Amino acid sequence: MSTKGQQERLELLQGTLDLLILRTLLLGAAHGHAIAKAIEMRSDEVLQVEQGSLYPALHRLIKRGWISVQEGTSENNRRAKFYRLTARGRRQLAVETSKWDKLAGAIARILMPAEQEGKS
Amino acid sequence: MSRRKRMMKDLDQDIRDFIERETQDNVERGMSSEEARNAALRKFGNVTRVKEETWELWSFVWLEQVWQDVRFGLRVLRKSFGFTCVAVLTLALGIGAITAIFSIVDAVLLRSLPFRSPSSLIALHEGLPKMGYPKMSFSPPDYAIFARHQRSFASVGVFRDEHVDISGEGEPERITAARVSASLFPILGAEPILGRNFTPEEDTTGHNVTILSYALWQRRFGGEAGVIGRTIQLDRQPYTAIGVMGPDFQFPLAGPADNGSPAALWVPMALTPAELQGWGGSYFNSVVGRLRPGVSLNQARAEAQSLAQVIVAGYPGAIADFARHGELTIIADPFQEEVVGSVRTLLLVLMAAVAFVLLIACGNVATLLLSRAAGRQKEIAVRTALGAGRVRLLRQMLTESLLLALAGGALGLIVAFLGKDLILAVVPASVPLPRQIALNGTVLAFALAASLLSSLLFGLVPAFQVSAANVQKPLQEGGRSGTGNGSHRLQGFFVTAEFAMALILLVGAGLLIRSFAKLISTDPGFRPDHVLALNIPLPRQAYASADEVREFYKQLLEQASNLPGVNTAGISSDLPLNASELVSMTIERGEGATRPPEAIAQSWVLGNYFQTMGIPLVRGRFFGPEDRLENQPAAIVSASLAKKAWPGQDALGKRIRWGLKDPWATIVGVVGDVNQGPLNAPLAPHVYRPYDQLPAAFLENDPFGDWHALNLALRTQADSASLASAVIGKVHSLDRDLAVTNIWTMTQVINSSMSGSQFNAFLVGTFAGLALFLAAFGVYGVLAYAVARRTHEIGIRMALGATKGDVFRLVLRKATFLTLLGIVIGWAGSLSVTRLLESLLYGVRPTDPLTFAIVSVTLGGVAALAAYIPARRANKVDPMVALRYE
Repeated sequence: MSTKGQQERLELLQGTLDLLILRTLLLGAAHGHAIAKAIEMRSDEVLQVEQGSLYPALHRLIKRGWISVQEGTSENNRRAKFYRLTARGRRQLAVETSKWDKLAGAIARILMPAEQEGKS
Repeated sequence: MSRRKRMMKDLDQDIRDFIERETQDNVERGMSSEEARNAALRKFGNVTRVKEETWELWSFVWLEQVWQDVRFGLRVLRKSFGFTCVAVLTLALGIGAITAIFSIVDAVLLRSLPFRSPSSLIALHEGLPKMGYPKMSFSPPDYAIFARHQRSFASVGVFRDEHVDISGEGEPERITAARVSASLFPILGAEPILGRNFTPEEDTTGHNVTILSYALWQRRFGGEAGVIGRTIQLDRQPYTAIGVMGPDFQFPLAGPADNGSPAALWVPMALTPAELQGWGGSYFNSVVGRLRPGVSLNQARAEAQSLAQVIVAGYPGAIADFARHGELTIIADPFQEEVVGSVRTLLLVLMAAVAFVLLIACGNVATLLLSRAAGRQKEIAVRTALGAGRVRLLRQMLTESLLLALAGGALGLIVAFLGKDLILAVVPASVPLPRQIALNGTVLAFALAASLLSSLLFGLVPAFQVSAANVQKPLQEGGRSGTGNGSHRLQGFFVTAEFAMALILLVGAGLLIRSFAKLISTDPGFRPDHVLALNIPLPRQAYASADEVREFYKQLLEQASNLPGVNTAGISSDLPLNASELVSMTIERGEGATRPPEAIAQSWVLGNYFQTMGIPLVRGRFFGPEDRLENQPAAIVSASLAKKAWPGQDALGKRIRWGLKDPWATIVGVVGDVNQGPLNAPLAPHVYRPYDQLPAAFLENDPFGDWHALNLALRTQADSASLASAVIGKVHSLDRDLAVTNIWTMTQVINSSMSGSQFNAFLVGTFAGLALFLAAFGVYGVLAYAVARRTHEIGIRMALGATKGDVFRLVLRKATFLTLLGIVIGWAGSLSVTRLLESLLYGVRPTDPLTFAIVSVTLGGVAALAAYIPARRANKVDPMVALRYE
């Protein structure tokens, strides 16, 4: 296992994970475990959140001021950290989403003609 | 608790929470509690890594790594204490020297003048370039016309130095005063701290008012506010004090050729009607103007030039021809330029010299670092093998360099502080530099910048060299870590560069020292030994009539001649090396034909002046009792003037006259040439006239006061200085209120005229010496280290039959090559750099082959000496010991 390969994969994942976290929190404040679960469930278990990378990502978002963290009580009366989207985070989500759309669209446009070429 | 700590505590709690939930989920899926927990932990991954990653997120990683580098660097530097000391001291010398000079450059060249918006202050000059006066001050009528017609300046002002006797309260003393127009202080933006400025009305004749400088007010009037309105005796005339200027106000500023003596008090310029009619003469008044907003310097220059034509057109008759012939111009330059222009070259030369010293110091430290890096190859290889990245190693090396440079800079500040005071303490009076300078923020910032830049200069190459080192070779070589070839070549490069720079500096110093030597050996045209000279000024109002003045000096001459110990005595309006009267003279070429007027020095003499000064008579006679006012005007000319004006003819009997209208004076004698100014200035033609024949009207008008301030010269039998008090006694027996100033022996006059040249040679010589020492130390260090490293190799060579001579040569060959290469490169550098010095040289050309030869031999000799010690050590290598080491 080369170190370099791992770094590239991580980087690729990071941005995406940030976007997914922000999107998940748009529905309301949640604790770490719930965020991971929500991402897995909403992607029909296709996306497996590497749980270890969830926390550095959360902290990175806190540092950037896109989410905030609060002490709260969870459904079964246990104390937990709840992460919440800030106003800046909400704006950032819009930016990131449109960026993602553009990226996905661009990649799709590149891939599509290849299929059509194959057909013709 | 820091945010980072709080966040990390939260994280711990969060991770625990996460794993518990995951375990719970797993239990719900039907796992046993132990299985469930393990699965949860597995799924979460490496807890420590997550924590580390998050920790890094909340910390300033690079800052911590820098701190690590610094601590490691300090440890390394402490371990090699000897190296550290040498490097820091070397850098301290280099950084200290450049900071000391910079503090002077900053105070003189970079700081703007201490007046309001100094950039729009312009100095104005007239010039008669075709008559040998490229730049001179204004004559009163020309100033008046210029001031009336000009539109480029919001206001113009005029000023002139004067010396006055201040008396009344306390001892009479001679002080520097300045006549200033009422417009001048407002132009400068200067306000009195007490009282008021002159009014325009007071700037006309008949108003005896004065403004005091802060220093004079404190010294003579005890700083009492009551001084305003008090009467002060100036040249025995009552003046009313109307103001006191602030402690920081100084005017005129030292520096300009004319009117450059800071005044102790100011009086109104109040140009007299006679002065305002003085067409074509009295070019002694300095003019300064403040540009009107929106007017550029070039616009002002253009207007000034056109006004020069207006001025010439207004000149009466023959003087207009004279001005037209001389191509009268008006020159406008920034006032700052006027003040600092004369020391700019010197300061730039010094700055270049210390820059070389710093570069050489950096070269030395770089070679030391390279030597040390060679010894550290194993350490570096191990660290690289253990995973240290190249960038990290580079950073580590540069951090060490930075630490060295900062320590050197800190110590350098002390060197700079002491050095600056040392330099300023020996600044001669003739060099317009401030006598005191404080180290300010700019200078500190400069020292810091110099340190940082140095750390890159000496640290970058060794750092790259080290971090690029091969991992395997040093480890394989085991204990035998030889210096790499690349390292050797780089050291050679640095040593060669050091020698080249040292040579350039030595050539510069050599040229200045040769100039000084030339000055000393220059024949000044008179015999300065055993001559005492005193300046005895008479207050003009107290000695109003020409007869009174003449009578006083005649009596003084007679009494002084009769003093025991005095051989001969004479009086002159100026002394050798200090001629102040430069006039335009018309020379008769014979049969009515004249040469156009030209600049000639004129002195008025009385008694045995030539004999006293030891100025030789070449032809004809000295002045005698027959040269009285009512007789035919007589003149004595200098030999060079006689030769120039009447080539191939006898000057005796020829005629010469002052300006265009004066009566002709017949030449009765020719004397040897005497330097009128500093010995390094070209000789000007000189005319001597009998003081007795100075027309009474001139003497009574005396616009510059020169004819009321004659110099008494005495040739004495023994030590001339000891006679001073006896002479002053005689002066006071004639008039007990007179202040005698400038008591000199002529030897002192000569020395002080050479002091500027001596100062230049001393300073550049000191820096060149420092450079030579550092460069020699550099080559010594490189060779000593090479010998130490190559002990093993030398041992083998000797075991295989190399003689001691072979080994000796082996070491010296390298030194010789580096030195010679450095000298050759230095020659090329010197040829292009020493031209900067040209204006400071006298009697030698910047390419003087003798200087180049002497300097090269000196440098070579010092290099040989520095190489000899390591070569000797190589010679003493015992092959058995060297090989056993294996």
